[in-house]
Amino acid sequence: MTYFSFLRAECCLVWRRKQNVVNSVLFFLLVIVLFPLGIDATPMFLSKAASGIIWCAAALAILTSIDSLFKEDYHDGSLEQWLISGLSVPILVLIKMTLHWLFIALPLLLLSPILSEVLYLPDNSFWPLFLSIVLATPSLFLLGGIGSAITVSLRQGGVLMLLIVLPLYLPIIIFATSITKAAQVGLPYDAPLAILAAIFLVSLVVSPLMTAISIKASVN
Amino acid sequence: MQSYVSLTLSNISIERGERDLCKGLSVVAQFGRLYQIVGENGAGKSSLLKVIAGLLRPIEGDIYLDDRVISAAMNQWSRDCLYLGHQDGVKKLLTVEENIRCYCPKASAENIHTALAQLDLLSYQHTPVKQLSAGQAKRVALSRLWLSDQAIWLLDEPFSSLDVKGRALLEDKLEQQLIRGGLVILTTHQALLRIDAQSIELTL
Repeated sequence: MTYFSFLRAECCLVWRRKQNVVNSVLFFLLVIVLFPLGIDATPMFLSKAASGIIWCAAALAILTSIDSLFKEDYHDGSLEQWLISGLSVPILVLIKMTLHWLFIALPLLLLSPILSEVLYLPDNSFWPLFLSIVLATPSLFLLGGIGSAITVSLRQGGVLMLLIVLPLYLPIIIFATSITKAAQVGLPYDAPLAILAAIFLVSLVVSPLMTAISIKASVN
Repeated sequence: MQSYVSLTLSNISIERGERDLCKGLSVVAQFGRLYQIVGENGAGKSSLLKVIAGLLRPIEGDIYLDDRVISAAMNQWSRDCLYLGHQDGVKKLLTVEENIRCYCPKASAENIHTALAQLDLLSYQHTPVKQLSAGQAKRVALSRLWLSDQAIWLLDEPFSSLDVKGRALLEDKLEQQLIRGGLVILTTHQALLRIDAQSIELTL
């Protein structure tokens, strides 16, 4: 196995499982559509709540999709083969997570202009929202990967994974939504953006290593 | 293929979940021979294979390839050793050829063609593995034996779900590996028909 052959196989796999991607995106859309129906559909309320609604939906969609990130690899013995392949497991993990991010986050990004219109998001806060999605969703994937790897050998690991991952998600969601809130009232939003970038860089370094360690522990 | 003389397990002790599986196991395995790990269900045959492959750490003991401890050079070890576990890493959603290309990216199209022809998988080359039978899926996993040149093969129940023809085919392949100076360590409950196997006994 080489990094390239692994990447090619993973691309094929994501493509064959495109139903999962469609499911996550559909889930994301449903949450966004139901929110205004359940609370208040007036432009005055929605323009204030829009970024929060989009972010909650995105975080939930990512959480549900990341739960099964390594499940199949664990059950068919691929994780064992990764460990003895002589390749660096953190890099394999990073390749896999990047691919999944591309397939889940890109549709969300493409949909975001339409959704911000649907939710009456003020024009001046669209680009801040877009930037926050670009910067923060990779961290959600990277941190979620750790939880997914820790619980991969458990039969009912889903809830445990949520408990592990959710506290790590809170700062990301808080800073991501504060970007659009600041933009809406005309304040500078460089600081939360910088913090999101910092969280992304830290998780980019830490997460593949932690995930690889968790995989090693789970296989044993 | 690299050539070696012997693989030495020295004083290996394995523990799984508070249970001692083997204590102070010492074996010198010569290249060019086939070793069969025998023992009752639960005696730790698969665990021993995993320890040799480097997936599990023994609580005591070392493994030497010739004179070098393998845990000091895991990279070289993973190049020399092919491990096929009970779950063999075959992806059900990928086709037969995609699976092979993932694990043996250097194999030429010709070699893949001959290997698939020998394994009776030629007409399934572009079929997803999930549509194959258990025995055929096992053959897909075993095709790596045809396409890579590691010196050490560690096989966990390689004969399971193979038919008579498949068993004969695999025994032929194992024989070739022994003739070219390789080492095979496997677990199986069935007796090998043609190859003279040395046994490594595990007792509960």
